[in-house]
Amino acid sequence: MAKVKTSNELYISPSPHITGPETSQKIMFLVILSLIPLCIYGVYLFGLPALLTIGVAVVSCLVFEALFQVLTKQSILIKDGSAIVSGIMLALVLPPQLPLWMTVLGAAFAMIVAKAFFGGIGANVFNPALTGRAFLFVSFPAAMGTWPLPRTAQSLVETVTSATGGIIDEVTSATALSSSSLIVDSKTYFDFFIGNRAGCIGESSIALILLAFAFLAVTKVIDWRAPLAMVATVALASFLAGGDVLMAMLSGGLLFGAVFMATDYATSPVTKKGRLVFGFGAGLITFLIRQFGGYPEGVMFSILIMNALTPFLNKLIPQKYGYIKPSKKVAKK
Amino acid sequence: MKMHTFKGGVHPPEKKGFTADKAIESVYPSTNMVSIPLTMGGKPNELLVSVGDTVTRGQKIADNTDCLSAPVHSSISGKVKKIETKLLADGSTGQCIIIEGDGQNIESFMPKLDPFTCSKTEALERVREAGIVGMGGAAFPTHVKLFPPKEKPISVVIANGAECEPYLTIDDMTMQERATNIIDGLAIATKIVGAPKALLAIEDNKKHLLPILNEAIEKSGNTELSLVLTKTKYPQGGEKSLIKAVLKKEVPSCGIPADIGCVVLNVNTLCAISDAFRLGKPLIDRPLTISGAACENPKNIVVPIGTVLADLIPETIRLKEDLVKILSGGPMMGVSLPNTSFPIAKNTSGILFLNKKETDLTTESQCISCGRCIDVCSCRITPVMIVKELAAGNMAEALRYGLMDCVECGSCVYVCPAHVQLIQRIRTGKQIRRSEIAQELQIQEKNLADCGKVMEADCGCGGDK
Repeated sequence: MAKVKTSNELYISPSPHITGPETSQKIMFLVILSLIPLCIYGVYLFGLPALLTIGVAVVSCLVFEALFQVLTKQSILIKDGSAIVSGIMLALVLPPQLPLWMTVLGAAFAMIVAKAFFGGIGANVFNPALTGRAFLFVSFPAAMGTWPLPRTAQSLVETVTSATGGIIDEVTSATALSSSSLIVDSKTYFDFFIGNRAGCIGESSIALILLAFAFLAVTKVIDWRAPLAMVATVALASFLAGGDVLMAMLSGGLLFGAVFMATDYATSPVTKKGRLVFGFGAGLITFLIRQFGGYPEGVMFSILIMNALTPFLNKLIPQKYGYIKPSKKVAKK
Repeated sequence: MKMHTFKGGVHPPEKKGFTADKAIESVYPSTNMVSIPLTMGGKPNELLVSVGDTVTRGQKIADNTDCLSAPVHSSISGKVKKIETKLLADGSTGQCIIIEGDGQNIESFMPKLDPFTCSKTEALERVREAGIVGMGGAAFPTHVKLFPPKEKPISVVIANGAECEPYLTIDDMTMQERATNIIDGLAIATKIVGAPKALLAIEDNKKHLLPILNEAIEKSGNTELSLVLTKTKYPQGGEKSLIKAVLKKEVPSCGIPADIGCVVLNVNTLCAISDAFRLGKPLIDRPLTISGAACENPKNIVVPIGTVLADLIPETIRLKEDLVKILSGGPMMGVSLPNTSFPIAKNTSGILFLNKKETDLTTESQCISCGRCIDVCSCRITPVMIVKELAAGNMAEALRYGLMDCVECGSCVYVCPAHVQLIQRIRTGKQIRRSEIAQELQIQEKNLADCGKVMEADCGCGGDK
């Protein structure tokens, strides 16, 4: 009727007509925020190479995502921030001194093959950052298996270099999982806890990863189920196998993988039950690879394997309203 | 007082402050005309009047012999001007009886009836004849609710005063102003279904009602009646959620509340029941909330049913320039309408005028599979997977994830960070499923018919041989 001004644009849409404050960008922003301390600490530990790796990885991820979307005539979605998250995550699981062109290649594989080919944000089956890392890992095993010690661990450098025959500043596969020359005492635990050890840029500091976990769990960005199930499974399996439980939890990429990779929305289950099983499976496979496999670390492959199972784990749904369990029904009758 | 609640749900801003303290104001359309929809709840009605007939306030003007229908009455006295198809408050179109008032307001109500001495049949007949339907939103004929199958005895009647939709305050206001009538209506409903117990459930954001309601209950001397406080959370007022919260029981899938011995009635419906017996008055007036930031003077009003919204502007309702959405109902489940020329119906609990800031006009982006929709679902279904399976054309999986169990409350869309229109997709999926079922039935019937023919043919031949 004429009583409503015709100049007004009235909108017709299906209900509901209001939405909550949450947006995809905000979630991505919170994830980035939780990763920043790890980045800063990584740069503090490993210096310029770490900074360059992070910068190059983020920029390459953004560029490759945009490039693919331009070439395939899709709308450009890099504003959602997911490419930045993938870029940071990829950098944080790379050794700091990795040649930059390899980082670029890894980013390209992550964004184009692992993400865009599967349909982009939300539709990818495998975690892009981990897929990029796996690609680099199998293509350049030497470069990917060389870990410089952080500059804060000078005493450690001496110990290890003497043990390994004098390769200064660098030691191959110096994760506690494969190096028998490390003498494990309470100081070692502490060094591992604060990240004073050789490793990937962001995987080192258990303290900061736990902080990020607390932050993401409190802001409800991630669900505690998958990370907790994963770490608990590794711990339990190590205990049963008679290994060093604490070292199993602190070393390698377990914590980082559990907190950031096993909680990736698109590639982990959406249901709570599914997430528990996902964490359990990832933990078990990690333990099996560590214990019996040919690689020193199993976090990456365990999560990628569980990624492939995610569609099936999504079938583990809660009991729907109004569906009484059959056993109860029989009992009533 | 113990707090009852269910698992899941969301906490949208309440926004009830606009009208929370506004007494219900009785208003009349400025044009002196009403457009009464031929059918408001139940099976489609047939006309009982024709153009040119004189009608009185309370006279039945449309009805149907089907027991699943509810008659419609004239809400003013005057002359039937025309019968035409109009936009309705639910966004569809339908036939309306347009009556021009004579300004005399001649009433022809039914005789008063004592609900506690009359027979059950008489009482049910009265509820039906008064054209009472669910005023909370669904418009399901109340007499059907009050007459559940014999094998399903009712153990409790729940008065639903939760009013969990943001903005709406009309149930709250009705409880403040007409507590006695609500308690009376509840007692009547309880008597009709023969339940030993009745509960009145409100959300804890309406604690100010406790003394008023307690007093009304005390005055009625009804001992089987008690108050229940529920947590302020959407969709607390949804029938299924409320039953789960208050009784800790679940309505079976595809079932009705009577399956677990309960009946839920909105507080305004109870008022209408009380009026139908005590005054003989059919359901011809509708209290509702007019609100939203694009409305200059939000208020609670009561209007004759069939009042066209446009006829209340600008005398009763003044709008602001920044209006972008007109809703009938609340913002979570209401329907957005293209203009104001629709009549207020029996189940119109509110009209909202929203500006750009209040309503969500963002377009959806791609699902990021965060699973938030699952966490908030009051039916514990898996919206994200339903929508994915529907997109893949996999109906069997969509059903397993709970397609047909969705109550369309909208909580999932509310929390979705990508603003995915889950509910709209689920509605479409439900339609597809319903047409599938209809087709299956047709094929079955056809097969049965064919089978019959074959059998006849067999018999005919067999005899000869």
